[in-house]
Amino acid sequence: MKKVKSLVLAGLLAFAPATAMNSQAFAQDNAAVAAAPADGAAAPAESAVNAAAPAADAAPAVTVAAPPRMKPTPGVGMPSPGEISLQEQFSPTGHTARWLHDVLLLPLITIISVLVLALMLYVMVRFRRSANPIPSKTSHNTLIEVIWTVVPVVILLVIAVPSIGLLADQYKPAPKDAVTVKVTGYQWYWGYEYPDNGIGEYVSNMLTKEQAEANGEPYLLAPDNRMILPAGRPIKLIITGADVIHAFAIPSLWVKMDAVPGRLNEKTFTIEKPGVYYGQCSELCGARHAFMPIAIEALPPAQFDQWVLSQGGKLRGADAAVTAAAAAPAAAPAEKL
Amino acid sequence: MTTITADHHGDHAHDHHDADHKPAFFQRWFMSTNHKDIGTLYLIFAIIAGIIGGAISGLMRAELAQPGIQYLQIWAQYSDGPSATLDQAYHLWNVLITAHGLIMVFFMVMPAMIGGFGNWFVPIMIGAPDMAFPRMNNISFWLLIPAFALLLGSTFVPGGTGNGAGTGWTVYAPLSTSGSAGPAVDMAILSLHIAGASSILGAINFITTILNMRAPGMTLHKMPLFVWSVLVTAFLLLLALPVLAAAITMLLTDRNFGTTFYDAAGGGDPELYQHLFWFFGHPEVYIMILPGFGIVSQIISTFSRKPVFGYLGMAYAMVAIGVVGFVVWAHHMFTTGMSVNVKMYFTAATMVIAVPTGIKIFSWIATIWGGSISFKTPMVWALGFIFLFTVGGVTGVVLANGGVDDVLHDTYYVVAHFHYVLSLGAVFGLFAGFYYWFPKMSGRMYNEFLGQLHFWVFFIGVNLLFFPMHFLGLSGMPRRYPDYPEAFAYWNKIASHGYEIMAAGMLIFFVNLIWSLAAGRKAEGNPWGEGATTLEWTLSSPPPFHQFETLPVVD
Amino acid sequence: MAVALPPSPFDRDRRNRRTLITMAAVGAAMLGLGFASVPLYRIFCQQTGFGGTTQRASGDVNVRAAVGHNMSIRFDSNVQPGMPWQFYPEHRTDTVTVGARDMAIFVAKNMSDKPVTGTASFNVTPTQAGAYFTKIQCFCFTQQTLKPGEEVRMPVLYYVDPKILADPDNRDTQEITLSYTFYPVEQDKKPS
Repeated sequence: MKKVKSLVLAGLLAFAPATAMNSQAFAQDNAAVAAAPADGAAAPAESAVNAAAPAADAAPAVTVAAPPRMKPTPGVGMPSPGEISLQEQFSPTGHTARWLHDVLLLPLITIISVLVLALMLYVMVRFRRSANPIPSKTSHNTLIEVIWTVVPVVILLVIAVPSIGLLADQYKPAPKDAVTVKVTGYQWYWGYEYPDNGIGEYVSNMLTKEQAEANGEPYLLAPDNRMILPAGRPIKLIITGADVIHAFAIPSLWVKMDAVPGRLNEKTFTIEKPGVYYGQCSELCGARHAFMPIAIEALPPAQFDQWVLSQGGKLRGADAAVTAAAAAPAAAPAEKL
Repeated sequence: MTTITADHHGDHAHDHHDADHKPAFFQRWFMSTNHKDIGTLYLIFAIIAGIIGGAISGLMRAELAQPGIQYLQIWAQYSDGPSATLDQAYHLWNVLITAHGLIMVFFMVMPAMIGGFGNWFVPIMIGAPDMAFPRMNNISFWLLIPAFALLLGSTFVPGGTGNGAGTGWTVYAPLSTSGSAGPAVDMAILSLHIAGASSILGAINFITTILNMRAPGMTLHKMPLFVWSVLVTAFLLLLALPVLAAAITMLLTDRNFGTTFYDAAGGGDPELYQHLFWFFGHPEVYIMILPGFGIVSQIISTFSRKPVFGYLGMAYAMVAIGVVGFVVWAHHMFTTGMSVNVKMYFTAATMVIAVPTGIKIFSWIATIWGGSISFKTPMVWALGFIFLFTVGGVTGVVLANGGVDDVLHDTYYVVAHFHYVLSLGAVFGLFAGFYYWFPKMSGRMYNEFLGQLHFWVFFIGVNLLFFPMHFLGLSGMPRRYPDYPEAFAYWNKIASHGYEIMAAGMLIFFVNLIWSLAAGRKAEGNPWGEGATTLEWTLSSPPPFHQFETLPVVD
Repeated sequence: MAVALPPSPFDRDRRNRRTLITMAAVGAAMLGLGFASVPLYRIFCQQTGFGGTTQRASGDVNVRAAVGHNMSIRFDSNVQPGMPWQFYPEHRTDTVTVGARDMAIFVAKNMSDKPVTGTASFNVTPTQAGAYFTKIQCFCFTQQTLKPGEEVRMPVLYYVDPKILADPDNRDTQEITLSYTFYPVEQDKKPS
């Protein structure tokens, strides 16, 4: 039973991301190692029974086709040529943060800079030597010194209140039914795993210039396998690094979190609408630091479920949460060998 | 510049000939115990390091001028041999960014600010005959030479994927430990050790000099603000650098002796390195900028013919910046996964720094207010400093917000921010000070027209170079990238043109420097008139080899 | 302002030396602090749960379960690339009553033909939950040696401190993720 299930799974993985550039390679890896623990059959009996049930449920999934690879919209979820502002945001915290920057911080710092510039131009003209040959000897004015100490304090308080609020929002832990994806940074590619859906880790490598152009995707931003997520559902990424520190970053979703070896970080967000959102590694991680891009493909929830099934995964029901698919542990740790 | 001071034996110090007795060349320049000579050596060293560091940034801007890898593979053939791979070319990029950062921080700005101007003018400004420990002063300088040699040498030995240390100036573990095999990173770390030891010795020397060697009547509250700035800087060095030394020593043992201070495999934590590094690193940025504050204060006062407005506020604002600078370090680590209340603390604490900084900016403007301004070259550089430092400061307030930093961290916005405060702040302070004190140090006037031209060309160049980086950062371009998506091409091209203009400005500077040293008009003791009230202007230009054999009395 | 007499060179030298010694001591103290930060940081993390450091309690600890307050616990496992082990939690998630003891099983298998000793690093997320996630017994407290092909089931006995319910920082915490990363123990790597 268990062996059969593993073989089915291996087959599914082999078919999995049909459009992916090196899907074949990693799927074969998975197939090879996924069989190993099954042969070992060392897992305790009751767990094998539990695990077998969802696997049987998943069997009809063979017929589910993966949704077609989404085409990115130019200028959405990626930088635009000549852009002078933050990227358009597609998450609630992104909106708040962008509001904080665009409506509060940017005008404020512009006003302060212009004020300083205006004051400087005024004194430079008004008190140039030809206009003011005799300098005053004033070197104190308690009132004005108090003013320019207190006013900045007030300004900073005005900034601090929404800023602290934003932080509280951003780092609000995910609800327990959030879609959870495990992200692992490697030199120099990313690995994504869906522990609750029984989808073992698959890797995401950068497309070459020719491949990206053939796909109509931006070179250096487009990887072969994207991280597939549902729009509208809360998402929790658990992030770690395998070798050195990397950073998982998607500017248009206001996400940036270091992937640190030996420890786990988590990041919560919600994607508001379907689309492709690009990002790049944001912590110096060696030679190909600039060449391990990230792409999230946000699908409508129904299509996301379809994608999960097409990968041989299972949908996470309310009760299924307790018992993980045997496939996940079998495939996931193994492929790290 | 070695020749200048030797030129002017006869013009001054007629009343005490002993004061100008100079030792022979080798004795004088290699075993120097004279603070002015050592200051000159530091300045020459900083200029050389600045040329190298600036040339490296030229290589980087050339590569970044358009998307794609243009030159890296060609350059990699020089560092990694004719069969250099693409990965080695990418590694070379990391070597370039690392070298640029380390050279500019440890071998250009710090030696120029503290070693150069500090050595030259702190003893004179407080009415002391020399530094407290002249021989130690000499050691401080000569330690820099092997340090710099080690750093430059590291680029020719293996450092992981290719030759050289490609870890970034932050040398984060585990990229710098398990991620970089070969001796390059060890050499770079040793270089930092030696440069750090040099700075610690220098710091102790300055503290002792300023605390003990002041002329009668020169109380702490009468010291010129430049001396205040060096005193605060010296304390920051003394408190911060040993922590860096400890942090990178542990990196070395992790690399070579199997310890696991930063290795999770043995119960260590890579985050600890970041905490230690930034506990040093944040004070370090104030170490680089505070002497600039001091220089600008002197210049603004001199050319406005007014005493500094709010002197005590200015002095204690620097003290406050120094103190608060030690409790804000983790704002460099907002994306490492700290819990939210820790981020809230570091957000709030960081913003506090804006208050003393604001006091300084407004006090400078108030110093000018009511003054009688002459727009000599040092003054235009100082005015440029105030404005550009303001621009760099306000983007710091943006970055201080932990929630906003989530998208700006490690992007070009950060690059723009710290180049506005350092490359445009500290470097403008350096040029201001250089033009201000050049007549005093060399005995010759610089060329005023070339000085003004240098300012305007450099000003336009650096703004064109660094302002577009704000846009790149906002739209998400990460730092330390040798290649970038097409969308970032526009502003990168503009930035690279900005570099060309800035480089032209530097050419003007060197022409001015050489011309002025060779043929500049002889400078009188005080070329700046009644506004220049500090003690160095009471001496001849250049000052006698030994000044203040009879201590001046300040009333 | 009383004008002090110029100090004699002898006095000045003595004062300078005193300042030198004081400042050198300050520098040395900071250097010491730099090294001392290793244990200090560890103690700080253990005391405050900083960075998601978990707490540790002895087996006879008595905590009252907060009946009706549940917490989802997620288990995450990693193996350093190159280490020939399989390592995974038996269950990916579990729901526990806050304050009640629970046991999670992690399975490790040595896939190589040599005995391999491993040690695990660990933390929890969200990091602010670290101060409340308490382990009574864990395989991560000691090194584990697996013979070639050997598979072991390793227990973690833990509870979530009910004080978490009163912590405003953890008001929204519904799921705590416990993560382990196994590393091979090399003979030349000593725990620092």
